[in-house]
Amino acid sequence: MLNVSILSIGCTVFNLLLLFFVAKKFLFGRVDEVLVKRMEEVDEATLEAEEAKQKALATQKEYEDKIASVDVEKEHILSEIKKKGYVEYDRIVSDAKKKGEQILVEAKHNAEVENERAKEVYAAQLTDMVIDAASKIAATKHSSEDDKKLYDKFIIEAGVNNE
Amino acid sequence: MNLTALGAAIAAFTGIGAGIGIGLATAKATDAVARQPEADGKIMKLLILGCALAEATAIYGFVVAIMIISST
Amino acid sequence: MKELFDELLKEDKAFIHIPYGNGLFDLYKSVVVSWIVIGILILLILFLTHGFKVHNISKRQAAVESFVLWIRGVTGGMLGEEGVRYQDFMATVLIFICACNLVGLFGGTPPTMDMTVTVALALMSIILVEAAGLRKKGVGKWFKGFTQPMAVITPMNILELAIRPLSLCMRLFGNILGATVIMELIKFVMPLPIIFPALLSVYFDIFDGAIQAYVFVFLTSLYIKEAVE
Repeated sequence: MLNVSILSIGCTVFNLLLLFFVAKKFLFGRVDEVLVKRMEEVDEATLEAEEAKQKALATQKEYEDKIASVDVEKEHILSEIKKKGYVEYDRIVSDAKKKGEQILVEAKHNAEVENERAKEVYAAQLTDMVIDAASKIAATKHSSEDDKKLYDKFIIEAGVNNE
Repeated sequence: MNLTALGAAIAAFTGIGAGIGIGLATAKATDAVARQPEADGKIMKLLILGCALAEATAIYGFVVAIMIISST
Repeated sequence: MKELFDELLKEDKAFIHIPYGNGLFDLYKSVVVSWIVIGILILLILFLTHGFKVHNISKRQAAVESFVLWIRGVTGGMLGEEGVRYQDFMATVLIFICACNLVGLFGGTPPTMDMTVTVALALMSIILVEAAGLRKKGVGKWFKGFTQPMAVITPMNILELAIRPLSLCMRLFGNILGATVIMELIKFVMPLPIIFPALLSVYFDIFDGAIQAYVFVFLTSLYIKEAVE
């Protein structure tokens, strides 16, 4: 039971080594090959993904820049429009002012003309009244007192008319 | 009377030591796992190692007993 | 009972008897059985690993890959970081011993029940351990390693060179022999010879065989780890 044989030991050692080399070459070797390939692919894919990400980031930045510039442009345009609007406004306002002034001037002028006419009318009335008074004085003989009264009356009448 | 059976029986007493040893080892391992459940992998390894070493004595006794029986 | 033991233990182990050197050069039956085991294993490996692809892997490939990764994890974990290069060899030894121990399940005598095979395995183990130590440390340091941790212990260290493989070899041999003998006894004693032995063979053939293979590989890995540290 406990006897051993050298040849059998050698055979067993050889057996085990044979199994080891077969396992190393086929089992572990093939699995390793697949794993290494897969690892490489994963690395490649990671690299590609990284590149794509960089590209995407660059594009995004570009767009952001563009958007920022658009903002600036918008602001610019807006401010321009505003400026234009102000100018227009100013122009309109100044126009309106001018017009108003003109109207005012015209109105004053009209009023003066009217005044003038009124004065003329008054003067005509005054002349009529003076003529009237003169004719009255001429028609009646009066004392100086009557004259004085007449004067007063005339003056009062003139004042009333004038008011 | 044939004394070989007695000799084999005496050789089989090695089982006592192995049993006590494995029992102690398992008790301590259970203790250790209860105290540190996160280290159970290492404890399991050491337990198997200790059990293998303790069991070896019983195996030696067993082999000796069989050799005694079969040698006559 | 005696006849059973005699039949089991004293049978002629020689498959081919070579009439030279008093039986020292016989070719034993266990070797033939282990050839069969290895042939089956090689065929299995060749069948299981043909046509591997990188993408769209089959279930077979997925199973083989996960098995390889698992067994590498087991042996690599036992060997530590320094000795991780020997993990493939230890995995092979584990598979081989497991397969040998499982022969009993199919009614044959396990090759590991013969001391020849376990002696060969233990010899390879101790050679691998010392070779790993030599490779890692160099000759001078390797010799110096015998005097550590102190000079008094040197004879012990030298004795260990013989004790370690002896212990490995006897443990595996004794366990498998014990399991086989007990299984034979149970088959001999049991009136119903199918069901109960089948249940017990689950323990003695599968569980014990796998545990012993694991222990063998574990101890060898431990020695390697110690040697390369």
